[in-house]
Amino acid sequence: MGLDRRGFVKIVMGGVAGTLFTPVIWQGLDDTSIWSQNWGWIPRLNKGEVKATSALSKLCPAGCAVKVKTVGGLPFAVVGNKDNTMSKGGVCPVCAGGAQLMYSPARVKSPMKKVGEGKYEAIKWEDAEALLLEKLTPLKGQEGKIAAISGDETGTANEVLSALLAGLGSSAFYVMPGEMFTAGKGVKLMGGSGQPGFDIEGADLVLMVGADALDSWGTTVANQKAFAAARPTGKEAAAQYVYAGPILNNTASVCDKFVPVPPTATAAFCLALANALINAGAVSSASDFAEYKALAAKFTAEEFEKTTGLKPEVLADLVARFKAAKAPLVIAGASFGQGAGALDFVAAASLNVLLGRVGQKGGMTLLPAAPKAIATATDRENAKDAASFLASVATGKATPGVLLIYEANPAFALPQPAEMAKAMGNIAFKVSFSTYMDETAALADLILPAPHPYERYDDAMNPYGVAKPTYLAGKPVVAKPVMDCKDPMDVLLAAAGKLGLSLGAETYADAVKAKAKAVGADFDALAAGGAWTGEPKSGSLNLGAAALAKAPSAKLDDKTVAFAPVTKLAYGTANLATPPANTLVVRDTELLGKDLFVQMNAATAKKLGVANGAKVKLTAGSGEVKALVHVNEGVAAGTAAMLLGFGHSAWDEYTKGKGDNIYKILTVSDEAGTGLKVWAGSTVTVAKI
Amino acid sequence: MSHGAQKEFKVTWGMVIDLDKCTGCGACMTACQVENNIAPMLDASNKMRTLSWMLVFEMSNKKAAPEAEIAYLPRPCMQCGNPACVPVCPVVATEKNEEGGIVSQIYPRCIGCRYCMAACPYHARYFNWEDPIFPKGMEKALSPNTSARPRGVVEKCNFCHTRLMKAKDKARQEGGNPEALADGAYMPACSEVCPTGAITFGDLKNPEHKVYELAKSEHAFRLLEKLGLAPQVYYMSKREWVRKLGDNYAAAGKAGAEKKHS
Repeated sequence: MGLDRRGFVKIVMGGVAGTLFTPVIWQGLDDTSIWSQNWGWIPRLNKGEVKATSALSKLCPAGCAVKVKTVGGLPFAVVGNKDNTMSKGGVCPVCAGGAQLMYSPARVKSPMKKVGEGKYEAIKWEDAEALLLEKLTPLKGQEGKIAAISGDETGTANEVLSALLAGLGSSAFYVMPGEMFTAGKGVKLMGGSGQPGFDIEGADLVLMVGADALDSWGTTVANQKAFAAARPTGKEAAAQYVYAGPILNNTASVCDKFVPVPPTATAAFCLALANALINAGAVSSASDFAEYKALAAKFTAEEFEKTTGLKPEVLADLVARFKAAKAPLVIAGASFGQGAGALDFVAAASLNVLLGRVGQKGGMTLLPAAPKAIATATDRENAKDAASFLASVATGKATPGVLLIYEANPAFALPQPAEMAKAMGNIAFKVSFSTYMDETAALADLILPAPHPYERYDDAMNPYGVAKPTYLAGKPVVAKPVMDCKDPMDVLLAAAGKLGLSLGAETYADAVKAKAKAVGADFDALAAGGAWTGEPKSGSLNLGAAALAKAPSAKLDDKTVAFAPVTKLAYGTANLATPPANTLVVRDTELLGKDLFVQMNAATAKKLGVANGAKVKLTAGSGEVKALVHVNEGVAAGTAAMLLGFGHSAWDEYTKGKGDNIYKILTVSDEAGTGLKVWAGSTVTVAKI
Repeated sequence: MSHGAQKEFKVTWGMVIDLDKCTGCGACMTACQVENNIAPMLDASNKMRTLSWMLVFEMSNKKAAPEAEIAYLPRPCMQCGNPACVPVCPVVATEKNEEGGIVSQIYPRCIGCRYCMAACPYHARYFNWEDPIFPKGMEKALSPNTSARPRGVVEKCNFCHTRLMKAKDKARQEGGNPEALADGAYMPACSEVCPTGAITFGDLKNPEHKVYELAKSEHAFRLLEKLGLAPQVYYMSKREWVRKLGDNYAAAGKAGAEKKHS
């Protein structure tokens, strides 16, 4: 039987029709689609019970009280804890990616000993602890020979560290720069004592001078919650917010008013506002009011215009807002959380005194000294700054034999970091207690891995900015740390025991529990997500007129501009490079490839002869950074702004070599009258390349 | 679903984002990345390659200092009532037919043609140029809520759909009605994490949910309303320049007002 044309067409048509009706083709296509996406290297999800455990997430400087969600015991996400009176269910962007940071490629995996320039070998914990003891023992009883730098502002770890040093005969305990340090000095200049607090929640007008209170200053999440409560969605706002600072930052973006004040003119701005308020009838019963009034009188509207580049109408508008407010509050702070002089603090804080807002609801408060867990520990008020210490090491004035570094990265996060790193080279034995391989760990002789916050006991006493005494504590979320690490304080307390010292605690958990007891809090309730709060102390402040009389004013020439470092919490902190889960948040007008941008307004760009997108070099002191220009009208007159926290040489592939470290061009000067090291009013020269 | 027809649902999940409260902190982007297992990228500044189911845009009033103002605009998928992406998909990998009105994205069906990306005026869809490679060990921190997607498929925000499934399960277990969840019983990660509470989430058709009233505010608007895609994401701002910029059609008229479409 032959196959004719008709027969052939029938077979083909039958075949086509058959394929339409058989599921084989469609099932095959579907399977192909599924299986072509089902490769072995596509990660599978973890299974198990999903739980949420309370934790104190000290990844951000203030610490967020959060709940860590786990699946089968493995942390995977962080959500807010609504029951905590400080965080009130909020989470900052750093803590939001906290679970992923447990597995950061930058984590130090085990103790390491330096065996050559940039070369390390992993060692056992017993060998590491023996080595530490061997180095500490001969220096016992020699003042200044054992030093410590802490980058933790709030933990009882500071008490353990400073008490250990005191027991070993050394008072060389230093802290990394921060608002808390400067503000404490400022309060003393105003005739008071204690840590200042700011009752944002109770205020109906909040003027933030420099302080980036809704993004990176103080207890960010608590501040944001206070802001949110005062601005209910869809209803009338109950409080006004005004930001006065060098750049239209995240805080300023939601404020009712942004006042662009160059970073070199903070004190001048505050005194001009004081003058305008006094002219509008403000009087104070402070003992130095007459002196203050005379000083403020020099800051006329013309002077204001000259120093800030702003029209006098701006002052009139602010005065009108203050007059209309029942509970105004002025928050004093550096726009990037550090490096401001005490005088900038005094200038802004004095407005609270002038307006009679100290100790009032919605005003500025003073916190009493917190009870200590370890009696021999250094009082927080007497803390000394790490920048001055390393400067003394550089000149040979200080000659420590061992330096213990805890939660700090001085080789990156201090002005002129190359000089700081060089100074550290003068110290024979440096021990870095660090969770991550940061620039300072990379210089250390012994690296002792510290647990991630979800793997350890820790606490936070009076995070800077809180209006009343506040204490938080937490315990580990996971049964076992991901890496071979030990709590630094456990290591030091064990060493203390072997050196014949008794600090009253065997482990850091004991010390934290002792602190809770001393404060009068229930540790278990705190670890379950609670917060302890007390009452601020009474006491008054003067206007700090004597100190303010010495406030300097910067002189800028044609090629020099004021330099404003900018911080964004999402991009990391002084102790933390941008977390892998946050690199996406960085804008391409801030970092592009490996180039960081310098932001300036069109008038400044014109004055400097640079255009949008131009590559420029910024220099100050011996430092230099390269950047691309981004014209941004939100930058104050005569000011260049750049992001802080980029340009790491250590960490991981997500951050290493991205951008430049602008600490290189922050120049340190001694503040007139206080002798403090300051760098918030740095100036830079900008040149096209 | 044919183009131009708007499908009605009894429950319409939506957001009202208060732009006057968004500080642009980025917590929503991070929480979204964590919830949805988006792998970190080595060069996250290459915005042509990044995956940002939630993206916070910066808006400017373009005025010189000191009149300069900025606002941040978080942009999830708009879950349009009349989505442009759905009718163009040749393999029905994206649909809008589930109660609640969330536009789905079915990864195993997706052939990566990217027609949907071209169609979406909000740039809310992303193509996986790379396989999801997490740093060694970080896969242990994967969320159990979202499968990791391979290279070659398109993905987007789905209002954390697994959370909806779980909220419904919980309602069933507790004897409640899974089709009438209480306000706050289901919330995407971005809305849950937002520290200023800028993102209010709920059923736009349920008078007991906050979004019901908020979406009707005189300050509420939707992005590019002129296109007639009926997004389920509303924004609100008391700043007129923000409303005008969010809906450039409104630049000539009253911002946020109801539009007539041709």
